[in-house]
Amino acid sequence: MNWKRFAVGASLIFVLAIVLGSALCACSQDAKAPYPSMAPLDQYLMDRNAEIALARSAAPESISRDAEIVVLGQHGYETAVKGNNGFVCDVERSWMGPFENNPEFWNPKVRGAGCYNPQAARSALPIAYLRTKMVLAGLSPAQLADRIKAAYAKKELPPVEPGAMSFMMSKQAYLTDAGLTEDGAHNMAHVMFFTPLMDTANWGANLPKSPVILNPQFNGAPEPVEVYMVLTGTWSDGTPAPVIKDAQ
Amino acid sequence: MNSTMIKTIALGSFALVIALSPLWQAQAQDSGPLYERMAPIDQYLMTDRNTEIAFARTAAPESISRDAEVLVLGRHGYETAVKGKNGWVCVVERSWMAPFGDPEFLNPDRRVPLCLNPPGARTHLPLTFKTTELAMAGQSKTQMFDSIKAAYDKKELPLPEPGSMCYMMSKQQFFSRKAGNSDPHLMFWFPQKDHLDWGAEFPGSPVDIHQYSPQPITEFDISVSRWSDGTAAPTN
Repeated sequence: MNWKRFAVGASLIFVLAIVLGSALCACSQDAKAPYPSMAPLDQYLMDRNAEIALARSAAPESISRDAEIVVLGQHGYETAVKGNNGFVCDVERSWMGPFENNPEFWNPKVRGAGCYNPQAARSALPIAYLRTKMVLAGLSPAQLADRIKAAYAKKELPPVEPGAMSFMMSKQAYLTDAGLTEDGAHNMAHVMFFTPLMDTANWGANLPKSPVILNPQFNGAPEPVEVYMVLTGTWSDGTPAPVIKDAQ
Repeated sequence: MNSTMIKTIALGSFALVIALSPLWQAQAQDSGPLYERMAPIDQYLMTDRNTEIAFARTAAPESISRDAEVLVLGRHGYETAVKGKNGWVCVVERSWMAPFGDPEFLNPDRRVPLCLNPPGARTHLPLTFKTTELAMAGQSKTQMFDSIKAAYDKKELPLPEPGSMCYMMSKQQFFSRKAGNSDPHLMFWFPQKDHLDWGAEFPGSPVDIHQYSPQPITEFDISVSRWSDGTAAPTN
């Protein structure tokens, strides 16, 4: 697997299985589509306190201790802890991945812990809220994509603000079934930047030895948002993060 | 000896010279007051143009810098040494691009290569050119400060465009006697009026912040774990 393929596949949550699909071509048809539909809701839910702790682990404690924490309930995200520094931490589920060519769209194991800065909390986090609300209302991925597109057309979802970013440095997160690191972890320590759609060459993303990875999470399909990831090298607790496979 | 080996040895020798040169000179200045005034211009110049070109390119992985425009510092300011074709520009900045309060603001040993993306090149390089012009004209720090402030007040210098950033991943970069070659990082620029919060400078945060003055610019630095050549950087 080369760097470019890694960049496409490992980008945040959920997409690596696409890339590994051809590399692991011995796998059966079932293994290619291990999560064909939504699992029972309970499989996506967590113990409330465990979810609060996991959400906070996305950023260094110095940031997350004063952040608002939202947790997933039966009908969407709800505030579990009020914050006072403008950051919002959550644990995102598999449906925050791309709508197309994403065999892990319904993977109930996915737990993507993130802490959004104020700009991202206002302009990127609403995507998570809307996607989640629609999923829990029973919409299919195709219906969901249409609903998101309509929400942008009607300006129900805001344009991404300059400087929107989030921390995803949780050692305990689970981003994909595939091993992302040399020691097989399903996770990687990084920060994410949200921008309007732009020429991805502008940040040198996905080029050999570049520390910037384009995450195809949204990428205009349908959200008009680019997500770039920069690997941080350490987890939120300060311990070194393992080396990402083929990252150099 | 094949060409790859020759290239490797040449690059290694170049790196060693670049890395050691500031140390020798810093040691030589230990006994006196440091960097109170501009040193002779020659001390800020690199004697070999090709060395400066190669050095500038080390700011970013070769996949980016090989097609970038490269600028070098001449006696009258920066000049294009290599035309580019990907919109990126690589340049070795000198000490006067540090904050005005930096005690090594005039340290002639400071050599900081950057590769700027297209929005960064459009909106940060004018500041580099202006500051360099003032420094090389012999202006005092106070005069430079006032000139830069006036240029922003009159909108002669642009604010950072959205997405402005640069790579600073050269293993041979030299910031100061205290910071040495620091760490590989990316820099992102925003207008200060955006009032952004990236959790910078909090314990454990990978983000640093610089609020410049008089430049109305916020700069965020994010450390990365590898130098531009792919080798691992020391963990902070």
